[in-house]
Amino acid sequence: MTMRVTEGMTARTILKDLGDARSRLGTIQREISSTKRISKPSDDPFGTGRTLQLSGELEGFKQYKSNVDDGTGWVTATETALSRITETLQRARELLVQGGNDSNGQVAREGIAAEIEALTEAVKQEANVTYDGRFIFAGTETETRPYELGANDTYAGDEGTIRRVIGSGVELPINVNIKELLGEGAAAEDDKLLDVLRDIAGDLRGGTEENAENLRGTDLSRLDENLDELTRVRAVVGATTNRLATAGTRLEQLEEASLTQLSQVRDTDMPEAIVEYTTQQTAYETALRAAAHIVQPSLLDFLS
Amino acid sequence: MPVSTFTGLQTALRGLIAQQEALDTTSHNIANASTKGYSRQEVLLSASRALEMVTGSTEGGSQNAQLGTGVDVDGFARARDRFLDLQYRAQAMRLGGLAARVQGLETIEGALAEPGETGISQELQTFWSDWEGLANNPEDTASRQAVVEAGKAIATSLAELNGQLTDAAEVAEAQFESIAGKGGEVEAMANEIALLNGAIRGATTSGAEPNDLLDRRDLLLDELSELGQVSVTENADGTVEVGFGDAAAPLVEGTEVNWPQELVEPKGKLGALLELTRAGGTIESFRAELNAFAEGLADAVNAIHTEGGGPAFFAYAAGEGAASLEVAVGAAEVQTAKDGTVGGNDIAIKIGALRGGAVDRAYAAFVTRVGTEMVEARNGETNAQALLNTVEERRESVSGVSLDEEMTNLTSFQRGYEASARAMTALDEALDVLINRTGRVGL
Repeated sequence: MTMRVTEGMTARTILKDLGDARSRLGTIQREISSTKRISKPSDDPFGTGRTLQLSGELEGFKQYKSNVDDGTGWVTATETALSRITETLQRARELLVQGGNDSNGQVAREGIAAEIEALTEAVKQEANVTYDGRFIFAGTETETRPYELGANDTYAGDEGTIRRVIGSGVELPINVNIKELLGEGAAAEDDKLLDVLRDIAGDLRGGTEENAENLRGTDLSRLDENLDELTRVRAVVGATTNRLATAGTRLEQLEEASLTQLSQVRDTDMPEAIVEYTTQQTAYETALRAAAHIVQPSLLDFLS
Repeated sequence: MPVSTFTGLQTALRGLIAQQEALDTTSHNIANASTKGYSRQEVLLSASRALEMVTGSTEGGSQNAQLGTGVDVDGFARARDRFLDLQYRAQAMRLGGLAARVQGLETIEGALAEPGETGISQELQTFWSDWEGLANNPEDTASRQAVVEAGKAIATSLAELNGQLTDAAEVAEAQFESIAGKGGEVEAMANEIALLNGAIRGATTSGAEPNDLLDRRDLLLDELSELGQVSVTENADGTVEVGFGDAAAPLVEGTEVNWPQELVEPKGKLGALLELTRAGGTIESFRAELNAFAEGLADAVNAIHTEGGGPAFFAYAAGEGAASLEVAVGAAEVQTAKDGTVGGNDIAIKIGALRGGAVDRAYAAFVTRVGTEMVEARNGETNAQALLNTVEERRESVSGVSLDEEMTNLTSFQRGYEASARAMTALDEALDVLINRTGRVGL
């Protein structure tokens, strides 16, 4: 038996087809106006999971970049301070050579000693430098002044390491252990900078032949050793600066890549969506036109 | 046996009556062309009992013959296919269930607000970023406060989401109650079916075919099957016994209604509502997953936060993580370093490094699961709708009123009526000759 087709069936079919066309049009309209392919999890559950993951990554890259910026500021402040200390020490070395010269009298040596003491204060001053209100050479005790000015050379900070995260699982130490360089003065006898500078001043004031020998011999060599160490530390700091700069560039690239991926997963492909929209709109209009024509004729039109 | 002079008139009259009733039926069909659940009706006609008569005698003796006496109306049949009704009800039940599930899940999906700027995933990322920001500035009170606030924001959102899940369960439960409870839809429909059973039994006993009542009862059974599984047993007296869901006793027995009854797995809309709300159901499993996420977050952060002997960052009641999560420390107690130094940042770095780890993945998995459940339900709904449409199309093809067909019938019955009247007129004229003019000669 052939299937009877009733008016009710035709009407229902038309309504259903129009409804389907309208809903497809609505979906593509929403994708275009929101510019998002995924606006709720059920639009693409796994795409949503991926979107969340990529958004997290992206947020991470932004934060790492901010960590790199902060680290760069810190390391730059460190570099400046260390270069000033180097300059100060070079001046001290000149004075030492000058003071070791026998042609200088004791009065002149006293004068040089005073200048050396002033330079020692300057070195300690540099060690007390702050970045963003924090003492950068105090280890993790960043609110404690590392060295008191004056005769007391005790280091008040700790030897903790401060790190910045510059990538997922990548940490970079950014602080310099200043105690390793400056030491704790004559009392500690640790052959570090402050100890050497205090000894130089002492030898300049001492006035004995042994003192003069020290000035020309051990004092000079100990100062040079410390200068070498300072240069080594500055090289490490320079390397840190480079790593931070590289990380910054790399993070930019990663952020870009991540953003592209996120966009591919989440965002509407506009040209494609607009073509699709036009197609769906045409389909809907065609369905409307067809409906208007199909419903009209019936036997009633032809019975007299 | 001689035949009455007026037999022909009687035959024509029968024709008139039959065509008239056929016209009435056509008219009834046309009038109900748009009535929901209406099945088109047909007049059942058969030739009426013939008159036995003896034909003229021949050499072989007289012969018997039968003279037709016209037409009888045997009844009015309803064009209906019981098998299609069963198919329809099975699909209506499936669709009812899936549509209710889609509706319930839509609320939950909306509450997630994912992916977006306001969802928990974004707050989670802010939380990690704030820890890393604190790692850059461990001395800064504002940074500590930011971490505390970000933690509170997550706790608030989790509590809200948990509340919305509870609400969704309560709404579904209330909906179930309003349908299946005392005075609800199920009972109202059952009452009407019981009343119809009574009326149909009365009509059937007196021999009449109560087509329109049967249509109404079938429609009610269709609607009832959207709510739950319906099983129908037909009795000889025209009544039906209706079983509903997995209720122990029949919902309708003759003119008796047994309701309310306990339902465990009624299928259909009620089944879907129960599944959403019951222990171990969809909403509860979502809540369990959300609790696990909240507790996982708190445990992961606390494990690191307490490494230096400091207090736990988050506090929660076990098993109620999402609802009870709270930040247990003030800005001053936020730990940044194991050794407690003011500039140390190892703890802050370690907590910030939780980003993208198990905690984030657990939440993404939760969102993905909600989405997947939603897609499955929606696909099922579309599929059930398509199947229901097919069955309905078939059923409509059998039972629906086609106006073209009715117009054709109308024309043919009208012509039949006219012809019967013409036959009567012809006989009348013949009798006129016999009665009024026979024997009058030469006037």
